[in-house]
Amino acid sequence: MSSPESMPVVHVVDDEAPFRRSLLFLLESVGWQAVGHDSAEAFLQVAPELHAGGGCLVLDIRMPRISGLELQRRLRAAGSPFPIIFMTGHGEVELAVQAMKNGAVDFLQKPFKDQLFLDTIERAVQLSLERHAANRRHREAREVLDRLSVREYEVARLLALGLANKEAARQLNISDNTVHVHRQHVMEKTGTSSAAELARLILRADPNGLD
Amino acid sequence: MTLSKRTTRLFLICLIGSLQFCVVHAADAVRVGVLAWQGSEDAEIRWSSLVNDLEERLGGKHIELRHFDLNGIARALQAGELDFVVTNPGHYVTLEAQSGITRIASQVAGNITNPEHVVGSAVVVLDQREDIQRLEDLRGKALAAVSPDAFGGYQLIRAELRRIGLDPEDGQVKPVFTDFPMRKVVDAVVNGRADAGILRACLLERLEHEGSLPIGQLRVVSPRSEVIDCVVTSPLYPGWAFAAASRTPPALSREVLLALLSLPPDNHQQSWSVPADYHPVHELLRELQIGPYAFLRETNWESLLHRYWPWALGLLLVMLAGAAYTLHVEHLVQRRTRELTLVLDERHQLETRVLAGQQQMDHLSRLSILGELSGRLAHELNQPLATIGNYARSLLRRQDSGTLSETALRQAAEEIANESERAAGILASIRSFARKRSRKQEVCDITELVREAGGLIGGMLSKNSPIVLLHELAPTDRQVLVDPLQIQQVLLNLFKNAWDAQQSTRDEHPIEVRLEREDDRCAIEVRDHGPGLTPELQAHFLEPFFTTKPDGLGLGLPICKTIVEAHGGELRARDADPGIVFRFTLPLARSSDTDTRRTQ
Repeated sequence: MSSPESMPVVHVVDDEAPFRRSLLFLLESVGWQAVGHDSAEAFLQVAPELHAGGGCLVLDIRMPRISGLELQRRLRAAGSPFPIIFMTGHGEVELAVQAMKNGAVDFLQKPFKDQLFLDTIERAVQLSLERHAANRRHREAREVLDRLSVREYEVARLLALGLANKEAARQLNISDNTVHVHRQHVMEKTGTSSAAELARLILRADPNGLD
Repeated sequence: MTLSKRTTRLFLICLIGSLQFCVVHAADAVRVGVLAWQGSEDAEIRWSSLVNDLEERLGGKHIELRHFDLNGIARALQAGELDFVVTNPGHYVTLEAQSGITRIASQVAGNITNPEHVVGSAVVVLDQREDIQRLEDLRGKALAAVSPDAFGGYQLIRAELRRIGLDPEDGQVKPVFTDFPMRKVVDAVVNGRADAGILRACLLERLEHEGSLPIGQLRVVSPRSEVIDCVVTSPLYPGWAFAAASRTPPALSREVLLALLSLPPDNHQQSWSVPADYHPVHELLRELQIGPYAFLRETNWESLLHRYWPWALGLLLVMLAGAAYTLHVEHLVQRRTRELTLVLDERHQLETRVLAGQQQMDHLSRLSILGELSGRLAHELNQPLATIGNYARSLLRRQDSGTLSETALRQAAEEIANESERAAGILASIRSFARKRSRKQEVCDITELVREAGGLIGGMLSKNSPIVLLHELAPTDRQVLVDPLQIQQVLLNLFKNAWDAQQSTRDEHPIEVRLEREDDRCAIEVRDHGPGLTPELQAHFLEPFFTTKPDGLGLGLPICKTIVEAHGGELRARDADPGIVFRFTLPLARSSDTDTRRTQ
């Protein structure tokens, strides 16, 4: 029912080839689609976009040239929504703390149990799906609201705040009748039927939209 | 025998410790021992908010807080009664060496965000004592302190006094120990039992603020302007350490660490940060020859003799044997065969004893280098083991879900085989190194030895050999007459030092090895591009137990020196700007030596 396009993809970046392959093998054992990269550069070159199916990034913290922390920094700067899980060696707690402060989902100290690894992946992918859905809802709400004219948006905002037609008219210094017409246009264009629905739509497009 | 006895005892202690753990602490209690430097009651109040906060963040785990004096913590750790320890920096460094605890966080206070600069001491006197303005004025005076073991309460100031030639241990200043709590030091100064007293930084300000000491009654001697708000006499050192005992599960340590880092400052404005570098504390304890450096107090000759007695004995016996032999030969030429045989037997026995002593020494030194490398080795072995584990687990999962294909089975089995061979290879290279063996002399190709050692260090760093070999020697000039394993040990040590030096400057150059002929010897130079040779290094680098590395033993170069000298050479270092060049020479093999050529 779901094409490979919409399946979540787990990306593993580790310069240690046998270990990287073993993780891919493990991920595929439980049905994940998994892709390996032998360096941060290789990952950046492919620069996989996080698509509708979601996914996450498993990153070795210590790699030659571009380290795991540096890759995290670059991805963050580029606004990448990839949830990142770090793998650390013995005695690299300080690095791991840094990674967590920079927004990593979790870190796993090598060697780790397969079940712990798979649970962490599951959580990260879930998170990516939630982020993605939130992004989509945000985008769609913006598109709907962009159809309104400036005046219509002002009316919509006041109605969403719970004002009656009369009060809105007074605030905007226009007639009740005009507000009534605008209100009808707003409801038609946005496909909403109540002030509460309108409020939800505006908040989805902009969390500060009703301040 | 001593070793095995100690191992057995250790095992018993562990056993008893873990039994206790099962019986008393079945309910998942996390046991935290704290140093109560101002008495138990104060400790209870001081740490109770930490305990509450931690319990809240650790989701249902019960925290059992226990307070101790300095020796109490060590005893409790020995008995396996503690999971975590909270204590002062000097005590932490001592326990780290004694009981193998590991810091996971360091305390910071107020607006000091740098965990390296937290603890300091202030020397206080009554304000009207015009005669005491600077530390130098304390000569012949009575100085109150809580305890000779206290870090901020005594040792910091003792180090300062030593630097100006006033060691309390030599009587130039008379220490008066009041015991904890530190308030007693204030009382001793106020009622005249002592001329001056040592307080932990900020205690004076705190007492004045609480109103329990009139403002301005006490004054700080030799005040320093530092980055903190309190007046201090000593430099600042890292703060208290939150450390995990050696047997605390890493998962628990991690949980506690994350909880600690997320705690807001308590009502003394103190909070926890990433662990600080305690190297300055090591330096201080080394200077004072206390804690883990207490052995430095034995007079030099005694400790050297103690540590190198097999060598000293060996040398003495060789000299005696040589002398006895010469004398005897002169006398015995005319004597009967029976007497000659007797003497030769005697000499043989002596030589056997000398050889045994040297072999023991060799073995020990190789093991100590292995100890230094073992952290990296563990890392190196972890990779193949983790890989094998992943494949095995995956196969089980696929088998259980009925998705195991023949191709997947083949791929996994091949990878498992490869990785186990890799692990075995790492172990084999180490075993041949650690094996106890007889001293031998073989004809070896020096370029081969360099290459082998390069490969070995490359394996330990999990990368290609970081060595580049430069020489124009004819094949005959490369043949040296040496103990190949010992020379590899020297090379390995020099390569590891060079690598560590370059790590500190993040230099990407390869380590250069140059070979050249010098009369009837071959000279070997190892050059790094690290920070180079400081005058301090130049003066001390060949002394046992001198080290610039936080986790080093300081044995590497002295052992190299001994080995090179046993081959008739000398180990020298010179500044290469940038970096250091280490140079030594080895004897070239004569054509008559070739019958002992090394067989591979």
